[in-house]
Amino acid sequence: MSALERQYQVEQFYYREARLLDNREYQSWLALIHPEIRYSMPGRSNPMVNNRERGQQDMISVERELEGLDSNGLPIRDENYAILWLRVDRAYKMNSWAENPPARTRRIIGNIEILDDDGDTLQVVSNFHLFYARPGLRDFFYAGQRRDTLIRQDSSFQIRCREIVMDMADINVPTLGLLL
Amino acid sequence: MAINLKELVNSDASLISRRVWSDEAVYQLEKRAIFGKTWLFLGHESQIKSAGDFVQAYMCETPIILARGENGDIHASINSCTHRGLPVCRSDHGNTKRFICPYHNWSYSVDGSLVTIPQERAIKCKPDKRELGLKKVPRVETWRGLIFGSFNEAIEPLEDYLGDMKFYLGAWIDRFPGGIEFIGSPHRWVIDTNWKLPVENQLGDVYHGPHLHASIIAADSEAGIEIDNYAYNVVPTKGHGASFRLMPEDTPTDKIAWGFETPVGQLGSDELKNYLRSVQATAEAQVGPVRARMKGLAYGVYPNLSFLWSNAGFKVSHPRGPNKVEYWSWSVVPADAPEHLKQQLRNNHASFFGPGGLLEQEDSEAWIQQNIGANIDFADDRMLYYGLGLGEETTHPDLPGTVTTGANEYYARAFFQRWREDLLAEVDG
Repeated sequence: MSALERQYQVEQFYYREARLLDNREYQSWLALIHPEIRYSMPGRSNPMVNNRERGQQDMISVERELEGLDSNGLPIRDENYAILWLRVDRAYKMNSWAENPPARTRRIIGNIEILDDDGDTLQVVSNFHLFYARPGLRDFFYAGQRRDTLIRQDSSFQIRCREIVMDMADINVPTLGLLL
Repeated sequence: MAINLKELVNSDASLISRRVWSDEAVYQLEKRAIFGKTWLFLGHESQIKSAGDFVQAYMCETPIILARGENGDIHASINSCTHRGLPVCRSDHGNTKRFICPYHNWSYSVDGSLVTIPQERAIKCKPDKRELGLKKVPRVETWRGLIFGSFNEAIEPLEDYLGDMKFYLGAWIDRFPGGIEFIGSPHRWVIDTNWKLPVENQLGDVYHGPHLHASIIAADSEAGIEIDNYAYNVVPTKGHGASFRLMPEDTPTDKIAWGFETPVGQLGSDELKNYLRSVQATAEAQVGPVRARMKGLAYGVYPNLSFLWSNAGFKVSHPRGPNKVEYWSWSVVPADAPEHLKQQLRNNHASFFGPGGLLEQEDSEAWIQQNIGANIDFADDRMLYYGLGLGEETTHPDLPGTVTTGANEYYARAFFQRWREDLLAEVDG
């Protein structure tokens, strides 16, 4: 497979995933998820810069703002298949009041970059913009980056690992519990 | 508009006006009468272990730097330069020797003392730096590592203020021989609601669980049945509240031990489960026979600190006007648990009651919608009903405070009785 074909295949996978989520076909979306998935969203804070870091790349790196994945800090989410299943399951219940009536979403996935491919497993980063409207409230905008590990599955992929880096300075959206 | 407090809350606080949550004048009065007078939660000692460690905090809308000084003392200073008022600390946490104002580089030590005025060399009449430190929070005290501050110099000692609330907080904190640890930075998020609504929710509103959260916690679930049979709401002092199940003496360990109730415990490794069992095995020795049988729900410490037992979080509802809250929520774990188990236990909080939490999303939805209801017109003659179980409050030989069943709303009536007293005291001066 050429690099172009591979890029096309990965892009099509993400577009299909976004369409399933925007169409609220969550059970179909769950089929894209590997049973051993780690699905996480790090916390993001502003730690003080040490004087000795002046002039170095580390001083302004995104990574130093993230916490709670492999450290003792606090992530916003750190979930396995069972928790994602719970999230999907509640979407089909009348009494999931935060989603009744359901939110309207539209995802734009872009900047899809394959960083590594060992034949079975791909490391891919992508950006997303998400429009989120909750009837009765107002419209919200989410932006962030997804850092994925995809596993080849027949002619498509499954998501084995997803780390979601959110960009908002203050969390002023109704929930970060979306499937992103 | 002039506020008539007696019309906002009736005598037994069973009827409450919507303006209590939505009126700007009420909010301005709350700032002085409550946030200027009571003890307010700032943080936990585990967040500032070493000299120079600091974290940000708030007292109502006032930004605070909470720091550990060179001699180990805890300092709480208002984060605003004495020269032009800018915040001198722009980081959420860290370790430093100095806070430096960006504008003219006045610099302060972690205890708030003014150290340098760079412009001083160019003038003849030198200011007295001893008078120009950051404004200190006049009273700072701790209990079990929980740090509180007060703007009220004459306030009673923290331990007296907490009173019998210590019995209920200790039922959880004291079962861990090493105490508790606040893990990482708090989650902070903005909710379009009044600050009191998240507080009320956790002060004793036991029965919203199987209804609002029915998609996760059904009424016929184990938790729902336990609440029907064993739940108590206790008001140790008006404004504080503790809700919990007092389980029968023959309850099996796995049905009572802290941590087993959540998916993290239920789906956890054998090692995690055995750790949780070992904590329960020593609970009676740590906290006594009654408190070892307590399986908590949620607590509130007046005015705006909340605690969730099963999902192990401390939360503060910081007002940002009458209709906005900046909610802060910390994950709390046993300090002496192995590190890799802390990493599992922190998810009790993160995926359930953080801003991405499975259960939180229904709570914040309810608080937002309540606040919409608090702002409507043409319904001022229909005060909100807080009368469930009116007059049914009683006592219990093993439980200090005023005791009710889980469905009784005395916890909220007591809160609003105190709230009204505090506001009246300020108005009457």
